Amino acid sequence: MAASTSPFALQVPVERHRLANGLRVVLSPDRSAPVVCVAVYYHVGMRLEPQGRTGFAHLFEHLMFQGSPSLGKMELVRLVQQNGGTLNGSTRYDFTNYFEVMPANALDLALWMEADRMRGPVITQAELDNQRDVVKNEIRVNVLNQPYGSFPWIDMQERAYTNWHNSHNGYGDMADLDAASLADVQAFFDSYYSPANAVLVVVGDFEAAHALDLARRYFEPIPAAPAPAPADISEPRQAEERRFSRTDPLANRPAVAISYHVPERGTPQFYALGLLHQLLASGDDSLLHQEIVQKRALTGEVDASINFLGHMHNAQTPLLWTVVAVHDDDVSADAIVDAVEGVIAPLRDATMDAAVIERARTKARASLLRTAGDSNYPRFGLADLLASFELLEGDANGVNEIDARFAAVTPELIRETAREYLRPTNRNVLVLEAGAAS
Amino acid sequence: MSLPPRPAVPPLAAFTLPPRRHEALPGGGRLTLVEVGTVPLASIRLVLRAGAVDLAEDATWLDRFVTDYLREGTQDRDAAAFAGTLAAMGGRLEVDVDELSTTLSTEVLAEHAPAAAALLIELARAPRFPEDAAERLLTDLRRTLDMAQAQPSWLAYVAMRRALFGDQPYGRVMPAPEAIESFTTARAAEFWARSTGARRAHLMVAGRFAPDAVVEAARRASDGWSPGVEPTPLSASAREGRAIHLVDRPGAEQSTLQIGLPVIDPPHDDYVALEVTNALLGGAFASRITLNIREDKGYTYSPRSVISARPHGTYWVEVADVTTAVTGASLHEIFGEIDRLRGEAPPEEELRGVINYVAGSFVLRQSSPSALLDHLEFLDRHGLDGGYSASYLARVQAVTPADVQRLTATHLRPEAMAIALVGDRAAVEAQVTPYGSIFG
Repeated sequence: MAASTSPFALQVPVERHRLANGLRVVLSPDRSAPVVCVAVYYHVGMRLEPQGRTGFAHLFEHLMFQGSPSLGKMELVRLVQQNGGTLNGSTRYDFTNYFEVMPANALDLALWMEADRMRGPVITQAELDNQRDVVKNEIRVNVLNQPYGSFPWIDMQERAYTNWHNSHNGYGDMADLDAASLADVQAFFDSYYSPANAVLVVVGDFEAAHALDLARRYFEPIPAAPAPAPADISEPRQAEERRFSRTDPLANRPAVAISYHVPERGTPQFYALGLLHQLLASGDDSLLHQEIVQKRALTGEVDASINFLGHMHNAQTPLLWTVVAVHDDDVSADAIVDAVEGVIAPLRDATMDAAVIERARTKARASLLRTAGDSNYPRFGLADLLASFELLEGDANGVNEIDARFAAVTPELIRETAREYLRPTNRNVLVLEAGAAS
Repeated sequence: MSLPPRPAVPPLAAFTLPPRRHEALPGGGRLTLVEVGTVPLASIRLVLRAGAVDLAEDATWLDRFVTDYLREGTQDRDAAAFAGTLAAMGGRLEVDVDELSTTLSTEVLAEHAPAAAALLIELARAPRFPEDAAERLLTDLRRTLDMAQAQPSWLAYVAMRRALFGDQPYGRVMPAPEAIESFTTARAAEFWARSTGARRAHLMVAGRFAPDAVVEAARRASDGWSPGVEPTPLSASAREGRAIHLVDRPGAEQSTLQIGLPVIDPPHDDYVALEVTNALLGGAFASRITLNIREDKGYTYSPRSVISARPHGTYWVEVADVTTAVTGASLHEIFGEIDRLRGEAPPEEELRGVINYVAGSFVLRQSSPSALLDHLEFLDRHGLDGGYSASYLARVQAVTPADVQRLTATHLRPEAMAIALVGDRAAVEAQVTPYGSIFG
């Protein structure tokens, strides 16, 4: 692997261990401020939930805050907050995470709490019913009662993917949520929440040897259980363009989303696509912004992403590179689709100017540092990167190679990647009609 | 699989604020630098005392038009050149405006901090305001306004602001669609010339960077910047009184609620204690209102109360999107929790936990560049200095159960609270009439 030449490349200490029960432990000390983040990632997300139980992985995440063998409802939340910390959990395509950001003196407690949580939810029917209501209200406030609430993330994945694991709505159908039972909760826990299917990450102000001792003391007594067999989440190569439309009754301006299937995670092409994202669609200097907003005035903003629920480094492929624009009635969706293709087409034919590629690399480098330096939950951004590489690629050290992977991308590889992945026949176009009067 | 007993948490080490360095800039501008953070990035903000309060009555959102216009570059660099220069440093331009400030900000790789600081000053001093961009920006602004009106949270925010501030600047947050048709390049440029200048500028830098080089670059970039006109002294006053300001949204699955009233401004002696009170009542996940309407009743997903601070216009507000059928029940529970705290001091142990949460949050924020810059802006806006930050933890620790009850009784009076409600009128009207007269 070519080493990056930049002194600003993300480089962090990484120490990896595996406990007797299969739990992987990743430690990354950083003594610059008295803060620690403790995060546990379970390798189960929306993609792996049972058919007929859409939304269950997410509902289960809520239930993991309701009670554990040693802590009753809300006790974990109170313990974190009354020790000056903050916490959250989230459900993504491939994993579900639980984390605390605490003053460094609470490291011991945070590890103890997560080890207790790993022993399993201890909850009542009333607590299940309560969180079912909370989750339904989450879906209402984020999706059902909002203009563009499911656009494009749920709408596009339902249409662009052919494999159920990828295409179904991970927030869940209300009927599936209604059907979820305590028996489902136990079965899901038994299948997916074993130590061998999890990674514990600790980032921040601590001594590695001390944190490892604590991790062993609290987590190692949890019995081993086999990790679940991996699911087949592959998608076939798309050979024909596909077009879809839907009406959003709450939206008052039309919109269009264009999604392309991306290269497999970890490949050179994947990093080339990452640079294509930077130069095409990231920031006001990007080619799409310059053409579609500045020059053609087709919309006020072009949004693009590689992962509807995060960024390119914290999800497994299949993923979609998606460009979104909300526009006025007097601009057609086709005008935007054609303009996007007009910007992309030259990239398939000729190699890009070296200076433009270098700027894309700089943007990717800064973007990665911003992710690692996350301000909302200090230290969590780095913990998330480490956990993602450990779970999805088998080695957390991968975070230290990201910059070199971008550095190794050649102009020719960018052209080849554009040819195969940004071809019109790999494209899914979703037109959103505005159902609400302006 | 036995788990050892729960470990005790040792006392927090004494927390030392990262040092702040203050420098003067030519023309009367100010510069504050704080070295903090874990990654080699510098967060840079140029805060200009130019906001919506500086607008005439018929010019609501002209400030937004101006912020969009600022993305069009400087006299020396057009939009593409400006964006490209910043991108080559790893940054992008963010422009935000609120009642009092326009903030130009970016985050760049550490080595580029001096050049990025100079670039923001260049933009503030000499924005390009190209004539030929006006129609495009106006089209975008029309779309933004239209789309905002489809968002329940925006409509509730507008209704609350109108309830509290009426036609005063703090209440004028949404223009009539025809009003923005009068926006022109000349009006944008006139606003900028009238409302900015070195004396109205505060450059703030936090993160990892070479401080002397930033000071030098900022001084050079500010050289010859005219001081500008002193801002007009603010006059604002908030209204209170129970009434329901209803925005009908037929068929809505949820009611979007804001319940609020004016409270004390940050310089007030009781303000920090009111923050602790708010965290106990509704501001934290483990707070009383959230435990009640989310974790017990399941009425809502993300309820929260906040103190929204601005000079002469600070207000407390509880925000929640609740299932339509339990709109009245949610109001009952929210007011019930407020009344309970007015009537009875909280247990010592509950308050101790909240104090530790508020103190811990402060420590986390002071260690993070962007949150630290938010804090510096807060100090500026309210005429506070480093003494506020230095004494903050001690003031939080000193709050007593009796303080919390007294502050709730004094400042959080349910009979004075306005209710903004965006929801299905036909479904909620009967539910909410016990809580006030309906306007709208």
